[in-house]
Amino acid sequence: MTIRFSAPDSGTAPLTWGQRAIWEAVERTAPDDHYFNFGRVLKVPGTRTVAEVTVALTALVERHGSLRTLLADPVGQRLEATGRMPVEVTTGDPDKVMAELAATRFDYHAEWPLRVALVLDGDTVTHVVLVFCHLATDGLGSDVALRDLRTLLLRGRVSGPPAPRPLDLAHWQAGPQGRQVADAAAAHWADEHARMPDTMFAGPSGDPADPPIRRALLRSPALQLATRAVALANRTSTSTVLLAATATLAGRFSGSGRCAMLPIVGNRFRRDTLGIVSTLSQEGLFTLDVDGDFPDVLRAAAPAAMRAYRSAYHDPADRARIVRDESDRRGTAVHPNCCFNDMRFADPGPAACTPADLDAALPATALEWQMSQDKLNCRFCVHVTTEGVSLTADTRHLSSDAIERYLHALEDLLVEAARR
Amino acid sequence: MIRERLAALVAESSDGAISEHEALTATVPLTALGLTSIGQLRLVDAIETEFGVTVDLTGDGLDLLDDLDRLAGHLAGR
Repeated sequence: MTIRFSAPDSGTAPLTWGQRAIWEAVERTAPDDHYFNFGRVLKVPGTRTVAEVTVALTALVERHGSLRTLLADPVGQRLEATGRMPVEVTTGDPDKVMAELAATRFDYHAEWPLRVALVLDGDTVTHVVLVFCHLATDGLGSDVALRDLRTLLLRGRVSGPPAPRPLDLAHWQAGPQGRQVADAAAAHWADEHARMPDTMFAGPSGDPADPPIRRALLRSPALQLATRAVALANRTSTSTVLLAATATLAGRFSGSGRCAMLPIVGNRFRRDTLGIVSTLSQEGLFTLDVDGDFPDVLRAAAPAAMRAYRSAYHDPADRARIVRDESDRRGTAVHPNCCFNDMRFADPGPAACTPADLDAALPATALEWQMSQDKLNCRFCVHVTTEGVSLTADTRHLSSDAIERYLHALEDLLVEAARR
Repeated sequence: MIRERLAALVAESSDGAISEHEALTATVPLTALGLTSIGQLRLVDAIETEFGVTVDLTGDGLDLLDDLDRLAGHLAGR
């Protein structure tokens, strides 16, 4: 079946900074770019029929321009007022349905950036499965969409002003205020590029896997406890503690005293970007001198992390120019090839723990290999989720054995720091 | 007045995780009350927009952000 939407607005604009950044990543990862698709499952409140849920879905797509925006040629965005969006109706397991919908790449120019399935139990829709094209939104934006869909199901409408639109954001970014923000960010990118190593994990691992990209996940309650305790002791966030620890060990494993890392930053710090369904997240640039004791490294990391987070809201065109200039100056490609993505929706916050708590938690640590593929636009990607910490790496540069050792070393480093 | 306004901005930037009252009566750093790095950056942006200043993201600048009294004093004395 399909839903037919009809909104009052349409138009074209350049891509926003966030859209451009994810589009560049998609192009570098194709044809494995389904990697960037992601899904959410909404448990439908109450007893709702297919007809009722499609009314709410239609209102959702009409409310959020990003869900009816296609990639335009030459590269830009085209917001459509009307259209028909396919909806699958199924009785399958919601998580499996989500995985199936996410398994193939989007046709960015012709396919709506949202795939939908309704999961039925008899006549009742129990779950709505939404799979997003990353060009349309990031995780935090999908959270906004999910919240609105739930509100639409419960109340029939979302109160308050119309939702902010990527189209308007693109125009703001291109205007004088946007330019001012971009210039400040570009200054940071230029400074950090002048001091960063050419790249991380440059050498061959000597032990590539087939296919070469592999991901391992460490589930470690001890790591979580330790991270919160270290955050408390150092008056910083758990995210910054994890970034600093990740960078410290990336430096050690890469044989570099200075680590350059690209944290993926949500960029929802401004009132005009807080509640938008769009891809705001972009890479920031974080460099850290990692020789020395971890507590000292962490002390320097906290303000450096804040500057990196802030400069993540940048114009990719500025960054491309800075990277090109620095690469020309050195006569070699300058790029960290090393990233960090804290995907948790909420920071659990600082909290104390005792050595006994850590001892009790450590036996629960488990490592699991999760996926493999041919291509990725990075060599070393750490993801933090509520499940644990995963490392996706190019085994041509970091072997499977080193991936395992890295994740265990991360736990050791944090647990050790928490015991002090 | 600045202090009260800053407390309101802390509440907004933390999505209410820290209430205005908690921010005003805090005896520990705001980060210990649960102001995350995201919350801090939202606070920085709100202060810069509202007070027309540039917040210095150094160790000292972050210490200032952690302490409502010092921050209010800094903004009043500029």
